[in-house]
Amino acid sequence: MPELRPEPRLSHTAAMILQAVNAGYVYGFSIMEMTGLPSGTVYPAMRRLERDELIRSHWEQQSIADAEQRPPRKYYKLTRAGRLTLESSRKRYPLLTKLIPSPQEESV
Amino acid sequence: MTLRPALAFHLLCLAVLRFASLIVPRAQRRDWWREWSAELWHVRQACTPDRGISWAAEREVAAFCFGAFQDARCLRAQSAPAAMPRATTMGSASQCLLLLTGLIIASLSVAAILPGVREQFYQFRYHVPPGILLIQSARASEDATPTISGEQFLLWKARRQQLFTSFAFYQIDHEPAINSPHSQPKINIAHASTNLFQLLKLPIPVAPNATNLPAVILSNALWRNKFAANPSLIGQTVHLGKHDAVVAGIAPPGSWRLPGKVDAWLLEPDSSLLSAHNGFVIAETSKPETKGFGGHWRMSAPTPDGTVDDFVCLALIDRTHTVNDIFLFAIILACLALPATTSLPLGEYRVGSRKLTWPARLRRWAFLTSKIALLLPLVYLVSIDLAYLRPILNHDTSDYIQLISSFSICLFGLRWSLRDQRQRCPVCLGKLTHPARVGQPSRNFLAWNGTELICLGGHGLFSTSPSYPPAGSAPSAGSTSTPLGTSSSPKRASPLSTSERLSLTV
Repeated sequence: MPELRPEPRLSHTAAMILQAVNAGYVYGFSIMEMTGLPSGTVYPAMRRLERDELIRSHWEQQSIADAEQRPPRKYYKLTRAGRLTLESSRKRYPLLTKLIPSPQEESV
Repeated sequence: MTLRPALAFHLLCLAVLRFASLIVPRAQRRDWWREWSAELWHVRQACTPDRGISWAAEREVAAFCFGAFQDARCLRAQSAPAAMPRATTMGSASQCLLLLTGLIIASLSVAAILPGVREQFYQFRYHVPPGILLIQSARASEDATPTISGEQFLLWKARRQQLFTSFAFYQIDHEPAINSPHSQPKINIAHASTNLFQLLKLPIPVAPNATNLPAVILSNALWRNKFAANPSLIGQTVHLGKHDAVVAGIAPPGSWRLPGKVDAWLLEPDSSLLSAHNGFVIAETSKPETKGFGGHWRMSAPTPDGTVDDFVCLALIDRTHTVNDIFLFAIILACLALPATTSLPLGEYRVGSRKLTWPARLRRWAFLTSKIALLLPLVYLVSIDLAYLRPILNHDTSDYIQLISSFSICLFGLRWSLRDQRQRCPVCLGKLTHPARVGQPSRNFLAWNGTELICLGGHGLFSTSPSYPPAGSAPSAGSTSTPLGTSSSPKRASPLSTSERLSLTV
């Protein structure tokens, strides 16, 4: 069955954040560091991406955080729709992969 | 004990985050706080030195914390209900019924304020007994004109009667409230025979009068306005117009149904009723033969000058028609005129499309019935408000105003009810506000194509064929179905079952 839902056209900032999550920067502060965007931009953008089901979040296990003596983090991960959207965003923003190269692309 | 500067800054940042968390919706607040406080810990670890204090690092951490406000506002905006188009929210079925209910309450409030309307409602408490007649000259053009002289009344009363058992008489004088040569507010005083209220069988408690002064019965309005509703006034001597009289009672509001507006009834012996002014004669009959005459009949009777004249007898029970009679008459007229103003069908689904389920049909008819059920009391109240807006209008004028206003409002109200029903979705009763393209011009010979209206739920009065694929199935290549102005997001899809949903795909 073909997908009736149109793919959302992301802004460059949202595409950068999606690319950062895909590249393994999976929590808010690391995305901030990678993209250079302020917290007031990164976190609201991640809320919207999560609302649109392009990314999903989960909490780190408490035992892991306790072992490292730090509070647990909230991690973000791309969904299937998020990967498809990122693919189309890469076509729209060709420099995206150069700005934030993902490990698999680096290996290639 | 001193507080380390780094700890103080950390507490300050936590306070900022806590403050920002107040913006976040309550359901998400705990999770939001947990994430931001954890992130703050990591930011502080990454940015600030292990020992001492770095102002640049603290500034960076503070900038991070202030970003929390934007995030909190974003979450708040996401959780707020989506703004519905005004046409849809205003057109919802419940709002329509609420609007009508509000109008009824408003018109009821106006009715409670207007004294003329209140008096009409008071009239429902009193019933005119049968067999009470108003006798007038046959030459009178209207029954509100006094035509019978005091001499005529005394002549009839003195004669042996075959049809009537008793007579009463009253004539109205317009006199100043207080006997003074200067301009004073004038009141209407009815000089009436002492048996007037007994004949009308009005439930007015009359106090015994042991003095030689005539008794007076005050209207409720005069008692309130002139005597400040003094409850101990009964039995006291008052000065009204040119007369001293003993207050014998207070007439309840709405009890007077005879011609003329009266503020006080001065009950006088028959000999005092001989004056130059004409008045009204009330007669009571209990003879069975008069029942066949109906409510309006003529008779010939002797006059004081020895001749015989024609008179008209009007049954009081027919004359004092209530506002309900006019309202019912106007409703019947409006129902008869309705087909001339709009078509009566309610816009059913076309032949071949899916039938509505029984609950949906029932809900639709219940909505129409509720609208009409709320419309009728609204018409009734508004028409009475308009008719008795000004108490100075005479009864006939008020009747005409009530008839015309109730007919007009009822006619256009019923027309609006039907048209509104046709403009609503039969399934969810929402307004059909969104245009949707249906069909393809290339298939013009096979099916209809054009633009039709749908509601926000995606329902409408589509003329789709059952052979077309149902909602949710894959559209064929090249098919066109574009609900114009609606969101394409699947979250906005109809909450109703597929069987209830009409296909947008043709």
